Amino acid sequence: MPLSASCVIVPIDFSEESPRAIAAALQFVDSDTHLHLIHVMPPLETMSPGFIMGNLTDDIRRQRVQEALGELAAASNASDATLAVAIGTPGLEIADYARAQAADLIVIPSHGYQGVKRLFLGSVAERVLRHAPCNVYVVRRSDAE
Amino acid sequence: MLRRYRLSFVAVAFAWCLASAWALPEAVCQEVVAEAAAVPAAAKAPSLAETIDTRFGVVVGYMASVLFWEPVQAIPIPLIVLILLCGSVFFTIYFGFLNIRGFKHAIDITRGRYDNPNDPGEISHFQALTSALSATVGLGNIAGVAVAIQTGGPGAVIWMMLIGLFGMTAKFNECTLAQVYRKVHPDGTVDGGPMYYLEIGLQQRGIPFLLAKAFGLVFALFCIGGSFGGGNMFQANQATSAIRGMVGSAFGVTSGRIDWAIGAVLAFLVGLVIIGGIRRIGQVTEKIIPLMCGIYVLAGLVILAMRADQIPAAAALIVRSCVSPEAAFGGFIGVLVQGIKRAVFSNEAGVGSAAIAHAAAKTDEPVREGMVAMLGPFIDTVVICTMTALVVIVSGAYAEPAAGEGVEMTRWAFAETFSWFPIVLNISVFLFAYSTMISWSYYGEKAWQYLFGKSREAVISYRVIFLGFIILGAVASLQNVIDFSDLMILSMAFPNVIGGIILAPRVKTMLKDYWARYQSNEFTTYR
Repeated sequence: MPLSASCVIVPIDFSEESPRAIAAALQFVDSDTHLHLIHVMPPLETMSPGFIMGNLTDDIRRQRVQEALGELAAASNASDATLAVAIGTPGLEIADYARAQAADLIVIPSHGYQGVKRLFLGSVAERVLRHAPCNVYVVRRSDAE
Repeated sequence: MLRRYRLSFVAVAFAWCLASAWALPEAVCQEVVAEAAAVPAAAKAPSLAETIDTRFGVVVGYMASVLFWEPVQAIPIPLIVLILLCGSVFFTIYFGFLNIRGFKHAIDITRGRYDNPNDPGEISHFQALTSALSATVGLGNIAGVAVAIQTGGPGAVIWMMLIGLFGMTAKFNECTLAQVYRKVHPDGTVDGGPMYYLEIGLQQRGIPFLLAKAFGLVFALFCIGGSFGGGNMFQANQATSAIRGMVGSAFGVTSGRIDWAIGAVLAFLVGLVIIGGIRRIGQVTEKIIPLMCGIYVLAGLVILAMRADQIPAAAALIVRSCVSPEAAFGGFIGVLVQGIKRAVFSNEAGVGSAAIAHAAAKTDEPVREGMVAMLGPFIDTVVICTMTALVVIVSGAYAEPAAGEGVEMTRWAFAETFSWFPIVLNISVFLFAYSTMISWSYYGEKAWQYLFGKSREAVISYRVIFLGFIILGAVASLQNVIDFSDLMILSMAFPNVIGGIILAPRVKTMLKDYWARYQSNEFTTYR
């Protein structure tokens, strides 16, 4: 694919695969300003001691994730990327975000599990493939089984 | 969308429950509530409640045959009790009586001496301890002790205390492991508990993935069962029976309908916190619980002070009946088994539930949180249970047939001195049950997430099922359902204690290192 995409979305789960996905996405754009890094957080556990007794709120969680995304982006030569945080089911939220941004491409890493591990761990990439409004580029793990 | 409408959802569910309570014919209500005195089953088709009860009965029977299997013919100790006893004693010896030598340090940590606000985690050491205690302090300390004395005689108290002391190191082991193998997410939230340390830790010890995963899965399944049973239905049931009389006479309503109404109100109140996300209620509850504990312990101490002259005789009776127990209580072993069972139900040491709460504590020293967790069984069993036991014995309630059973006996014992106490006790039981349900809904949801993921659908479905079980628990006095709850909580100890023993060497290495640094004053203090 030529360096023409104007909006490439990279879902980030902060695993070891995330920097590799950012590197792969950079190949599709001429500038890192066209990259969107998104992390999807699960809903807040309203009965967790952290929420009830501590000071855990969605705003604080968002802020922490923004900071972590910023650090990751800076470390992956994508410091001008747009950073986004959503709450909900990862696959669906990523697809929704891509639709809202009229994205050209989603670049997502796959853990590449097989057999029992695949059954138990599931795959966000699979969900994104099913719901995405645009092309999806799946980055295979280097040591995929 | 669900998020936007979650409050209206709870409100509609509440309204529906109330409406159905009043719309139900009185006969149906009575039938659901009836227990032993139920209408003869043969006379008519079984009700929904009876059908559920029968189904549970089959499962309970099967599980009980495994859990309460007595491996040694000559010594009738059930397998699960043996595992819990051996596990607790093993941990205590293996960690060099840490429950005694680490006691002072544990109190220092809980007081916040080493609290670094920048450590990863959600809550302070003290908050983790109170959170775990709000799940364990409650009916086990009020009703469980009376049951132990009733079925095991006064001697059972000694065993409760001893297993409380040994349980401290079992708690240390599981909560340290929960910290070691927890996952801290970038948003600051934490996932931890036996399902994680069993799965990851056992694999690190060379156990194949499938087997390690099976340990985690089995634990999570039992934990979800426990959260619907002992952490929910049993609590709802006891809370309802505690305030039924008070509310019923205030509104002039008969018991069948009042149970539905109390169940609906309870489910609504829990729903406000777990679905509505109303933090204020949770915060208030967390503050009221220590206060209720304080009032309870204070009342007990005043009674004991007023009857100080009788304490030596009571202590002598406890020791005497422990050493040479009456045959009526099943002899030496019978007393031992009762003491252990009730102690474990009360402090949950070896069960692994508290490890889920302690995993969330802010620290980068896993051993430190384990030390804090150690105080749980001490406060729960060695202090509160022993005090209840002494009051029950000095008041003579244990030998008084009019005193009743379980929570009734404790109520009678306290009312002997303070006639107003039953009202305080009823309110305490209600609040203890409420906070236990909220804490256990967290444990259950963590296990549920481990199995089904964290998607909104998964999380909301667990919470809705949880609320449904509250109403079921309030309206039905189903013995088999309650037995099922107890079995689920005991079963959690199977994977947890066995896995915990396999993982103990890692904890020991960390403890050695930590203790050496503690003794050479290497830790920064913040207060």
